[in-house]
Amino acid sequence: MLTIHHRNIGSVNPARRVFLCVVLAVLFRASGSAQSQDLPDVTAMSVEDLMNVQVTSVSKRTQKLADAAAAIFVITQDDIRRSGATTIPEALRMVPGIEVARIDENKWAISSRGFNGRFANKLLVLIDGRSVYTPLFSGVYWNVQDVMLEDVDRIEVIRGPGATLWGANAVNGVINIITKSAKSTQSALVTAGGGTEMRGLSNLRYGGRLNKGTYYRAYAKYFNVGPSRDPFLGRRADDDWDALRGGFRADWTPKSPDSFTLQGDIYRSRYGETLTVPSLEAPYSSTFPNQGRISGGNFLGRWNHAFENSSTSLQAYYDRTNIAENSLFKDHQNIFDIDFQHTFHASGSQEFIWGLGYRSIADSNDSSFAVSLRPDQNTLNQFSAFAQDEISLLDKRVRVTLGSKLEYNEFTGLELEPNARVLWNITHNQSVWTAVSRAVRTPALTERGLRLNSVVIPPGGPGNPSPLPTIVAVFGSDKFKSENLLAYEVGYRVQLTSNLSADIATFYNYYTHLRSAEPGAPFLEADPAPVHFVAPLIADNKMSGGTYGTELFADWRVLPKWKLSGSYSYLQMNIRKNADSLDPTPDNPGPASARHQFYVRSSLDLLKRLEHDAVVRYVDQLPGLNVPSYYSVDTHFSYRVPGGVELSIGSQNLLNKRHLEFAPDFINTSPTEVGRTIYGSVTWRFE
Amino acid sequence: MQVDATMRRLRLLITILVILLSSWALEARAQDAPSSSEYLIKAGFIYNFANLVQWPQNAFTQADSPIVIGILGEDHFGVTLDRVLQGKKVNGRPFVVRRFKSVADLAQSVIDLKDCQILFVSSSETAHVTEAIQTLRGISVLTIGEIPGFAKRGGIINLVLEDNKVRFEVNVEAAKQADLNISSRLLALAKIVQHPVLDGRKTE
Repeated sequence: MLTIHHRNIGSVNPARRVFLCVVLAVLFRASGSAQSQDLPDVTAMSVEDLMNVQVTSVSKRTQKLADAAAAIFVITQDDIRRSGATTIPEALRMVPGIEVARIDENKWAISSRGFNGRFANKLLVLIDGRSVYTPLFSGVYWNVQDVMLEDVDRIEVIRGPGATLWGANAVNGVINIITKSAKSTQSALVTAGGGTEMRGLSNLRYGGRLNKGTYYRAYAKYFNVGPSRDPFLGRRADDDWDALRGGFRADWTPKSPDSFTLQGDIYRSRYGETLTVPSLEAPYSSTFPNQGRISGGNFLGRWNHAFENSSTSLQAYYDRTNIAENSLFKDHQNIFDIDFQHTFHASGSQEFIWGLGYRSIADSNDSSFAVSLRPDQNTLNQFSAFAQDEISLLDKRVRVTLGSKLEYNEFTGLELEPNARVLWNITHNQSVWTAVSRAVRTPALTERGLRLNSVVIPPGGPGNPSPLPTIVAVFGSDKFKSENLLAYEVGYRVQLTSNLSADIATFYNYYTHLRSAEPGAPFLEADPAPVHFVAPLIADNKMSGGTYGTELFADWRVLPKWKLSGSYSYLQMNIRKNADSLDPTPDNPGPASARHQFYVRSSLDLLKRLEHDAVVRYVDQLPGLNVPSYYSVDTHFSYRVPGGVELSIGSQNLLNKRHLEFAPDFINTSPTEVGRTIYGSVTWRFE
Repeated sequence: MQVDATMRRLRLLITILVILLSSWALEARAQDAPSSSEYLIKAGFIYNFANLVQWPQNAFTQADSPIVIGILGEDHFGVTLDRVLQGKKVNGRPFVVRRFKSVADLAQSVIDLKDCQILFVSSSETAHVTEAIQTLRGISVLTIGEIPGFAKRGGIINLVLEDNKVRFEVNVEAAKQADLNISSRLLALAKIVQHPVLDGRKTE
């Protein structure tokens, strides 16, 4: 836990988040007592009552993080439960400015501040301190990254660079999924659910205590998602998905300054898709239902030690992933990672944090005609060191954070990722912050060694006057360098009244050496037969440009039992090819990201045990992908039956029957529509 | 070369930003630090503690003298504590909240128990716990901290967050030496810290 805390830039505005939880718990009890200015009357509560109030994410570390000079949003366990989300991507839809688009039932495009795609590569995702982005494309296989949502403590999302603490790939954002401690999951939990899309879901968890100071939990989760609809063929698609996973966590605190955590998971995910792959024989492509399978496991250990004025944390993990994308690509990956951090108070007003890290990635893969990766066996080593100083000035109302990461990777050598942040608490209820940071995205394995046969142009066809078929192939390149970002951010948070708060973040990002695909000289190839031409597009770094935007979030407790929250985000991308680039694709990958997004969410406590949530979401069109804008209305009821049983029923996309959210890139799988769905579940907690 | 230029620009920008913000900050009026509802709950605890702890006879001049609560260090309560306690009374005594910037400030302002009966030691004072406790030596102040090990280091009550809930530890020995009588109801809910008091507090 502590490691994660160290790494957090923070938790959302505590005044907002915590207030809600407190209000929920308190208002029932403190009814009628006229406390000045609608503060719940905590003096009417007994010590026992106070001890039972959940205050969200406000350890000293996170409390301070709450005043972080960064664009931060936290999804709490309560938020997840009330939204009725059954997957992590669905839960992420409530983060202002994050783009979440479903490609098909088991594929998502998720990004922060632009550059969205199935293989989006500028977002770092961690689960309990373990990085889950794949070095294959620096993105996330969202169809294998899962946890038991009931055991999630919170999801912290930072928009903007977090490279100084988290390192390369924390370019446009960091998502930190943090599960509860074993001590706070000390009961048995059984969930069973089903619906029109999520056909069946079952969760089992048991938490127990071995002795004083040693707690554990074990869980198993299975779900099965049915296919949706293919809008182009107008029939049922082949995108069903099922996944089985299990795992454990044990926390051991032998003596107060030391604590140990061991945790691990194993999983298997099977998913379907309609795949189109090129072929050298007429009709030069084939489309068929395809099955993919990803399995793997991970094991993590962490040791925290707290001294009087400082703390250290040592964490190591092993993570294995086996990918078997039939007809496309097979890959086996073993990642080992070890990480040390030390935090100490240099003086009353300075907190210093530094750390060292090592990571080894061993990859081996089997190619197909469509996708191949060189070399087919590869081991990469990465080293990193970082230091950051947080200085409090002027009665601690101003906090200046200066730090940098130094990282070594085998592709591009040393990379420097500094940042400078300033937070100023103007008054007790408002603060401004600003930051300048540099981040890099180091090359992924595919960007160096990929060959992707994208399409085959038939002989004599348009664009191919020759008598031989021509493969348009995307190649990685040994010369591919890191993408660079220089980011400027400004934010403002205000608690207007005890019931109304707002948070605004704006940014200007300037990117250089962004990936482009430069045409190379066509060549003749005899293997595989028949003889054919290859028109290569080679990865290079010849794009650059700026993006800017703003993200707004407001939270209003209209009545003690009714809360409204809303978000609007705007994004403008001006990415251009450099003068010497011959990349045939048009400027501005921008249209794959939505310019406008907003949502309004209502959370209502209808009765003491009955809650209702509804959300209206709007996502702007994606002109580059021919995806129209859409509105979606989701609604969810939850009822807590006395005796630890919770009933939940939710429906998504009530407004329109179906809509498309995204289109695939690189790998030609058929996108499917998001339909109207209904889902219900029963959760039973018992000792 | 590109990187060098970028770095130079970055350095310049950082410098400008720091100067700019420092100068703005200097002009800003002194105000409370941001408050949060963790502190709303903590305020509730403080009220309850005031109710469940008995001070020695000499703590108050009159039957309706207020209970003075001091906050040492960075004030995370903002206006919360004042508002929670506004108009509230315990045994006919209203509340007064005072703020001490540093241990030096505390030493200057709190001469005897009549000046302050409860002292809340903010997390910002992690490095000054022992100092603060030594300053209060011989004065029966109920010290409440929010710092790991606060009770072990001689503090009387320590508020700790455990799984996002506020819990508390009580150093019974320290309370006894301070001549404070803590209600058994409160002790039943506390985690008892058995630790010798390092600095030999003595009652007057």
